[in-house]
Amino acid sequence: MARNKFDVDETLESPFSFSHLKRAFKYIKRHKWKMIGAFVLSGLASVAGLFGPKIMQWVLDDAVPNQDYGLLGRLAVFFVGLTLISIVFTTIRSRIMAHVSQDIIYDIREDLFAHLQKLPFSYYDSRPAGKILVRVINYVNSVADMLSNGIINMVLEIVNILFIVVFMFSTDVTLSWIIIAGLPVFAAIILYLKPRQRRAWQKQSNKNSNYNAYLAESIDGVRVSQLFTRQEENIGIMRRLAEACRQAWMKAIYINNSVWVCSEVLTQIVFTVMYIAGVYWMGGAFVSFGVIMAMGNYVSRFWQPITNLANIYNNFINNIAYLERIFETMDEPVVVDDLPGAVDLPEIRGKVTFRDVTFAYEPGINILEHLNFTAEAGQSIALVGPTGAGKTTVVNLISRFYNLTGGAVIVDDAYDISRVTLHSLRTQMGIMLQDSFIFSGTIMDNIRYGRLDATDQEVMEAAKTVRAHDFIMEMERGYYTEVNERGSRLSQGQKQLIAFARTLLSDPKILILDEATSSIDTKTERLLQEGIQALLKGRTSFIIAHRLSTIKNCDKILYIGNKGILEEGSHDELLAKHGLYYALYTAQAQEQGVPAPALS
Amino acid sequence: MFPIRWLWKNMGKKYRVMFAVALVLSAVTSTMLLINPYLTSLLINDVIMAQNADPLIPLLVGMMAVQLARLGMRFVMIVFFEKSSQHVIYNLRIRLFEALQYQESSFFDRNRTGDLMTRLSGDLDWCRHFLSYLCYQIVDCVVMFTSTLIFFFFVNWQLTLALLAVTPLLMIITKVYSRMVHPRFVAMRDRLADMNTAAQENIAGNRVVKAFTREDYERERFHEKNKDYRDANLSINKLWLTFYPFIETLANLMTLITIFLGGFFIMRGELTAGGLSIFTSLAWALANPMRNLGNLVNDIQRFFTSANKIIEIYYGRPLITDRPDAEDHPKMQGHIEFDDVSFSFGPVKVLDHVSFEVKPGQTLAIMGPTGSGKTTIINLLSRFYDVKDGCIRVDGCDVRRWKLQQLRGSIGTATQEVFLFSDTVEGNVAFGDTSLSEEDAHDFARRAAADDFISKMPEGYDTIVGERGVGLSGGQKQRIALARAMAIRPSVLVLDDTTSAVDMETEKYIQEQLRQLPFPCTKIIIAQRISSAKDADQILVLQHGKIAERGTHEELLRNHGYYWETFALQNDLPADGAAPFPGAPDSPASAAEGGAC
Repeated sequence: MARNKFDVDETLESPFSFSHLKRAFKYIKRHKWKMIGAFVLSGLASVAGLFGPKIMQWVLDDAVPNQDYGLLGRLAVFFVGLTLISIVFTTIRSRIMAHVSQDIIYDIREDLFAHLQKLPFSYYDSRPAGKILVRVINYVNSVADMLSNGIINMVLEIVNILFIVVFMFSTDVTLSWIIIAGLPVFAAIILYLKPRQRRAWQKQSNKNSNYNAYLAESIDGVRVSQLFTRQEENIGIMRRLAEACRQAWMKAIYINNSVWVCSEVLTQIVFTVMYIAGVYWMGGAFVSFGVIMAMGNYVSRFWQPITNLANIYNNFINNIAYLERIFETMDEPVVVDDLPGAVDLPEIRGKVTFRDVTFAYEPGINILEHLNFTAEAGQSIALVGPTGAGKTTVVNLISRFYNLTGGAVIVDDAYDISRVTLHSLRTQMGIMLQDSFIFSGTIMDNIRYGRLDATDQEVMEAAKTVRAHDFIMEMERGYYTEVNERGSRLSQGQKQLIAFARTLLSDPKILILDEATSSIDTKTERLLQEGIQALLKGRTSFIIAHRLSTIKNCDKILYIGNKGILEEGSHDELLAKHGLYYALYTAQAQEQGVPAPALS
Repeated sequence: MFPIRWLWKNMGKKYRVMFAVALVLSAVTSTMLLINPYLTSLLINDVIMAQNADPLIPLLVGMMAVQLARLGMRFVMIVFFEKSSQHVIYNLRIRLFEALQYQESSFFDRNRTGDLMTRLSGDLDWCRHFLSYLCYQIVDCVVMFTSTLIFFFFVNWQLTLALLAVTPLLMIITKVYSRMVHPRFVAMRDRLADMNTAAQENIAGNRVVKAFTREDYERERFHEKNKDYRDANLSINKLWLTFYPFIETLANLMTLITIFLGGFFIMRGELTAGGLSIFTSLAWALANPMRNLGNLVNDIQRFFTSANKIIEIYYGRPLITDRPDAEDHPKMQGHIEFDDVSFSFGPVKVLDHVSFEVKPGQTLAIMGPTGSGKTTIINLLSRFYDVKDGCIRVDGCDVRRWKLQQLRGSIGTATQEVFLFSDTVEGNVAFGDTSLSEEDAHDFARRAAADDFISKMPEGYDTIVGERGVGLSGGQKQRIALARAMAIRPSVLVLDDTTSAVDMETEKYIQEQLRQLPFPCTKIIIAQRISSAKDADQILVLQHGKIAERGTHEELLRNHGYYWETFALQNDLPADGAAPFPGAPDSPASAAEGGAC
C-alpha cells in the first residue's frame, strides 16, 4: 500500500463534475420544505421592498404637489407596515436557513465520522492523521454555506434575472438583445477559467492538507524533535509548506477575482453599446427616450444578478474542491465489514482454529502462508519468533482486523469469523495492543473504555488486579487525574498497566496480549501475572512476549518464522526437540548468565 | 484592539505599505462608486432630455474610464490585501510553529493536539479573513457613510441632522449586541476545539477503538460534540436575530426620514424636489453600511475570539530556554553528575535525593519498578524539566547553564515510546542529522540490527513508514529509533527501554554493537531485562524515586535485593532467597512461580 506523507499531494481519483452537487443534494433534500419556505419568504420580502420606490413616487407626485399632509402620513404608515413585514420575513428566513445550514454541516459530519469508524487499519496506516482530520473539521465547515444559502441565493438570482428579462423584452426587443449579447462572452470566459480555477482550488486544498498533516505530526512528535534538536529543520519544512499554501492561495485568488472583474467590465461595455445603439440607431428621433432610460436601468438590473451568480459560482468551484475530498472519504471502501447474512456470534467457548491461512498486506507479498494450528478452549498459546516474523499479524487476524488472503479462521469449530458480525466477534476478544493509546480524560474513563457500564468499583478492581491501583492512588486526584496521549504524566509502563486494566475489564472470552508487559518491570509483571491467573481460567489466551520466562508455562508455543509455524509444542517438548526454540531459550539463559537447562 | 496591533506587527515593512495602499484604494474606490451614478444623471439630462447626441460619446467614454479605473484599482486592492494578509498568515504559521517546537513538556501536558490544531488552522483563517476582507468592508462602509453624509450636509443640513439622529441609537444597539455575543463566540470556539479533539483522538486511537468495538460509542461521543458545536452556532444566530430587526428598522428609518421628512420640507418650501432626489437616489449609500454593520460585528467578534486564542500561544514562552549566562560547550565529554536531585509532579514526588556520577565512556544502567522515576532521570538530563532541588552537571557545568541546542544535540536518546515521522526509513534514521550520508545511515541501521528487515521491505530504505511508525512491529520501530539515536554520534547515548520489544538474540547483537561504536560516548541504559543491564559499569536500582541499590552486576546479585529478585524471576530461580548463587539451578521449570499462562 502506498503510504502518503505530509509533503505529498493526495491525488484525486474521481473526475470533476457537478455530480458532487447532485450527491450533496441528498443532504439538502431533507430540508426541502424549509428551503422552499425560506425561498418564498425571501421573495415576499423583496416584493415588499419593491414598493419602496413606488411609495416615493406617490410622495413626490401626489402628496407634495397637493400639500396633502394626510396622504403623506398614510403613506408613511404604509411604508412602515411594509418595512416591518419585510423585516419579519427576512428574520424568519435567516432563522430557518441558520438551522438548515447547521443541520447540513452536522449531517455531513456525522456521516463522514460514521464512515471513518468503519474504515480498516490500512486506511489510517496509509496517510497522516492530520489529512483525515482536516476533512472532518475544516472542509465540512466550508461547504455548508454553499449548500444552504448558496443554493437559495442562486435560485433567487435566477428568478430575478428571468423577471428582468421579461420586463426588458417587453420594453424593447433590439436593445434587449444587445444587453444579453454580453452573456455568451461571459459564459466563454467562465468556461475558459473553470478548469484552471478548479485546479487552483484543488491545489490549494492539497497544500492546506499537507500543512495540517505536518502540523499534527509535529505536535505529536514534538518531544522527539526536541530531543534531536531538530526544531530549526522542522521550521524550514514548515516554511516550505506555508509558502506552498500561500502560493496556491494567491494563484486561486487571481483567477477567482478575474471573474467578477470581467463581468463588471462587460456590464460597462454593454451599457455603452446600448446607449450608442439607442441614440444613433433608433432613428435619432429620440421619441422613446423613456425606453432608453429604462433600458439603461435594466443593464445594471440584469448584470448585477449575473455578477452575483458569478460570485456564487466562484464559491461553488472553490468549495467543490472540499466537497470532493469529503465524498472521496465517504467512498473509501469498507474492506472489513459484516458480510451479507452475517450472524451474531453467540457466546463462545474460545476454541480457535487457523485453517490453511494465507495473508498478505499487499498483494503478492505473503506474510503468512498455509498456516494451520488449533487453540483449544481455555488453552494458552504463546507466539515466539524473530521481530517482524508476523506474530502480531497472526493475532490481528483472530479479531479480523484484516481479511484473509486464503484459508479461514474458525471459532468453536462452527463459526468462520468472516461470516459473523464484527461487533459480536470483537466484543468477545480482549486485545492488548503493542501501543497502548491513552485518551484525554481521567484514568477512570480510560479504564472504563473497556466496559462502559462498569462501576467505579469494578474499574478499581481491574486496576488492582494488574497492580496499577497503587500508582494511580499516588497521583494527586487518584482515578480522576486527567491524562492525555502525549502527556508525560504517565510512564510507558504505567500506560501499559492502564491499557491492561482496560482489556481485563472488557471480560473477554479470548485474551490477546501482544507485548503487553514489555515496558513493565519484571516484579510488577510477575505480580500482575499472579493477579490475572484466576481470571485466565476458562479463557483462551494468545501471548506474544520476548522474555521467554513469561511464556514457558503456556499450553502451546508456536515458533513463527519463514511465513509459517516452524515449531509447535509445549515448552518441554520444544526443548527436547533441540531446535529453534531450544536455541532461543539457551541463548536467553546464557545471556542472563545462567547455564542452559539440562532438559533433554 | 490588541489583536489588530499584533497582526500589524507581523506584517513586515513592505507589506505594511502594500496594506496601507490597499486601504487607501478601498476608500477611493468606494467613493468612486458615486461618480457613475452622477454621470448617468448627466447623460439623462444632457443627452436624452436635451435631445442632444453630442455629449453622449464623451460621457460614455468617461464612464467607461471611471469604471475601468475603479475595477483596476479594486483588483489591485484585493490582490494587495490578499498578499499582505497571506504574508501575515505565513509569518504567523512559522512563528506559531516555532513557538510550539520550543514549548516545554508541561505545555503539551496541558494542551490537547486537537485544540492546538484548531488554533493553527481555523483560528488562523479568521485572522486572514479579517485582514483580507473585513478590513476593506469596514473602510467601504465608513467611507461611504461619511462621504454621503457630508455631501448631504451641503445639500440640506436640517434633513441631514435628522438622519444623523438615528446613528447614536444604532451605536448603542451594536455595542450591546457586541458585548452580549462575545461570550457566545468564545463558547462556540471552544466547542469547535472540543470537536476537533474528539475527532483527532478517534483517528489517532483508531486501533483501540476497533479492538474494543467502540465504534458506536465513539459515534455517540462525537455526535455530542457535533451537536454542541451546532447548538453553539445556533445560539449566536438566535441572539443575532433578536437584534437584527432593530438594526434593520433603524436602517429603514433613514429611508423613512428621507422620504417623508423630505416631502414635508418640500411642502414647507425648505427643500427643492431636485434636492430631495439627491437624498433619495443616494439613500442606499447610508442604509447599506448600516445593514452591514451587524454582519461586520459578528465577524469581528469571531476574529477577536480566534485571535486571542492564537495570541496565547504566540506569546507563550517556555520556562526552559537558554539562560543569559549559558556557557558555550562545543563538544560534550559525557561526564554526568546527579547531585542530590529531587523532582516532583505537583504533589507527587518522582525523584528523591538522587545522586550518582558517570564518567565519560562509562555505561550506567538504571532499573526499577514501573513509575519509579527512571525516565524522569533522563528527562531531567536533557532538561525537559528543571530540577526542583539539587543539581545536574554535565562536564562539570549545571545543565541549566548549557545551551539547550548543545546539550540536547549531544545526547542521543532512543525513547521508550517510539515516534516515527511519516517519512522514509532513511529520513527517520537521519532525523537528527539531515546531512547523514546514505552509507552512514545504512551503517547505523546495521548496528541497530535494523538493516536486515529494512532491506527486505519492498522499497528498502525508501519505504515510507506511517505516522508513529504504523506498519512496523514494536521491535522494528525500536531498532529504527536506536539507529536514529546513534546516527547523531552523540556524546551521551540514552537507551530508554529501547530493546524491550526486540528478541533476545537481536538484543545480544545490539549490545555487541554498542560496545564498538565508532565514536566515544557515555551510555545510559534503562532496562527491565537483566541481560541489558548486566555489563554496565554501574547499575542503579530506583524505587519510589530513591536509589535503592547501586553497584555492578555481581555486587548487586550478592545484595539479594530488587536486582537479585528480578534476576531470579527472569531466570526462573526460586525467589525466596534459598537458591545458591552463582550455582545453576537444576530444574528451573519446577521452580517457576506463576507465569503468564
